[in-house]
Amino acid sequence: MRKRSKYLLLEIASPFLAIFFAVLVGALVILAIKKNPVEVYRTMFLFSFRRLDSLAIILFGATPLIFSGLAVAVGFKAGLFNIGIEGQYLIGTFLAALVGFAVKGLPAFIHLPLVILMAMVGGAVWAWLPIYLKVRRGVHEVISTIMLNYISYSLIHFFIAEVFMDKQQGLAPGVGNPLIRLPKIASTALMPKMHGFLSLFGIDLPDHVYLNWFFPLALLLAVGYYFLVWRTPFGYELRAVGQNPAGAEAAGIKPGAVFFKAFLLSGAIAGLTGLSDLLSYFGYMDLDFPRGYGFNGIAVALMGKNGPLGIVLAALLFGFLNRGAEGVQAFVGVPMDTIVILQGVMILSIVVFSEVMGRFIRQQEKKEGLQGSVVL
Amino acid sequence: MFLSELLASAIRMSIPILLAALGAVYSERGGVVNIGLEGMMITGSFWGAVGSYYYGPFGGMILAIVAACLMALIHAIVAVTFRVDQIVSGVALNILAYGAARFASIALFQKATMSPHVDGFTPWNIPLLDQITFLKPLVTNLSPIIILAFLLVPLTHWVIQRTVFGLRLRSVGENPLAADTLGIKVYPLRYSGVLISGVLAGLAGAYLAVEHTGMYVEGMTQGKGYIALAAMIFGNWSPVGAMGAALLFGFAESLSFRVVEGGAIPYQFIKMIPYVLTLVVLAGVLRRTTPPAADGIPYERGGE
Repeated sequence: MRKRSKYLLLEIASPFLAIFFAVLVGALVILAIKKNPVEVYRTMFLFSFRRLDSLAIILFGATPLIFSGLAVAVGFKAGLFNIGIEGQYLIGTFLAALVGFAVKGLPAFIHLPLVILMAMVGGAVWAWLPIYLKVRRGVHEVISTIMLNYISYSLIHFFIAEVFMDKQQGLAPGVGNPLIRLPKIASTALMPKMHGFLSLFGIDLPDHVYLNWFFPLALLLAVGYYFLVWRTPFGYELRAVGQNPAGAEAAGIKPGAVFFKAFLLSGAIAGLTGLSDLLSYFGYMDLDFPRGYGFNGIAVALMGKNGPLGIVLAALLFGFLNRGAEGVQAFVGVPMDTIVILQGVMILSIVVFSEVMGRFIRQQEKKEGLQGSVVL
Repeated sequence: MFLSELLASAIRMSIPILLAALGAVYSERGGVVNIGLEGMMITGSFWGAVGSYYYGPFGGMILAIVAACLMALIHAIVAVTFRVDQIVSGVALNILAYGAARFASIALFQKATMSPHVDGFTPWNIPLLDQITFLKPLVTNLSPIIILAFLLVPLTHWVIQRTVFGLRLRSVGENPLAADTLGIKVYPLRYSGVLISGVLAGLAGAYLAVEHTGMYVEGMTQGKGYIALAAMIFGNWSPVGAMGAALLFGFAESLSFRVVEGGAIPYQFIKMIPYVLTLVVLAGVLRRTTPPAADGIPYERGGE
């Protein structure tokens, strides 16, 4: 029993060791451009944790990453690698924006859920082709989803610029160029910010913070993910297929069907990724709608080891790194992209550390098993 | 004239895909899936531009190769030595490469997204053939890298099929345990496969920046690393097949530039052609292709 807890400790320690390693590498990079790493990291922490607005911005920044991280994780659990989150959430965001501005006169309690549903449908639709190709034609989902990402960029560009562009942006003639964007979303479809609720507890967020109800929704989804994967028969099938498709099939589970369900679910969750930005920050979709949440979601899922708590923590870590990077750029003059390097190194070192640690623990347990002591 | 110009542009477009796909052949024949090609190409395009800016095009190629090789080395260490899932390692590498290029671009050029203009090699003409009017666009103004890329196709075929190194590389990609039993060192061979793919992907990126565009622009690889991987699969893990596929993708891309001028179809749909083609090709043909048996499977000496 004491041995088990020792290994658990090692397992928990490994991501922290990896983060520490990444911080060291980051320090070298900072030294390379002749800045003081200690000062940079200190500024990151102080700027992020000593200001109320920073804390709320970290939560806001983590929101899309929790969604995309959970979407990746659902795929991973079934042994599927969904690199297509990027395209899935763009399509989902587009459909949501479409229903958001085209449908008018609905009360908010119908309109907002409808918009959210459309985002999930869009994501699932965009996930259908790759999983069909995988199950029926043997095409690896990694390549097909990457191709669909690029196709979605062009498709969205076409719809925004050529079909649905907002031609009446209320600019006086000759004043500036109109944005290439969709019309604004009706107020009944917007997601309220959390300011009013938090002020009940004496927390008064400033106006430039966009923390909204998608954050608690994301946390709720993480809990739902836990129950689905570890507490339902479907979750059992999912994990069985993910660990050993042949074995699962022998046990009477149809891997193809599980692949389909898992991937469509992954796409549906992916569809939610852009909503916090769309419905609380921008209020419309334009050509520069944020990209990259999909790839960061992969990183978040890897760092969080596909567990709900790990994913939330990893998303918060990314939110902190991004917010800290802003502070570092503003106050110490170190480019924000230093932090992207830090993220890249962190992902690599976390996967390596967890792999090595996992192997070490398995070996030790095996040895003890041979000596006759009871494991588990 | 239109046709030969179209073909000439198709060949130029296919070169980065061809070079990276040849790299993928080495890596995957040795049993390592290399989705990090995209990141290595990004690295190559940036450092190629840097090298050319300071030391001329030859320096650019060298610097690009060295930088991309470093990325490949990381992939090899993570995926071969530490046996982390190869796709995971490649994806992480791509994120790292993207950030590193932005960072270095700010540090060197004070701009995250582009480099100043750089000069490429003096273009070559093929003597005698350049006298024929019809062939002129095809055989004049050629980058030496284009010629090098096509020479690398038979060379790669020869290395993989006819040399001791190639035989051993294939053996660790097909059945590493058997190879190991016969005294063939699995790890060094897998390392060399990945490193060679780094060399070629770096060259591909450098060609794109230095020879094709004349500068580095962020995102200029546009997924060509992934398309190269698809080309290699389409080409059934063989260099000659990869060349055919790369030419096909190059043709689709150059066609997309020509059709824009017509204007009948919205250009966003034309831009999709290479990606849609990749999907169609994989969906239709993959059934008949066979990857190396141990492709993507980490090998552990005396394993469980």
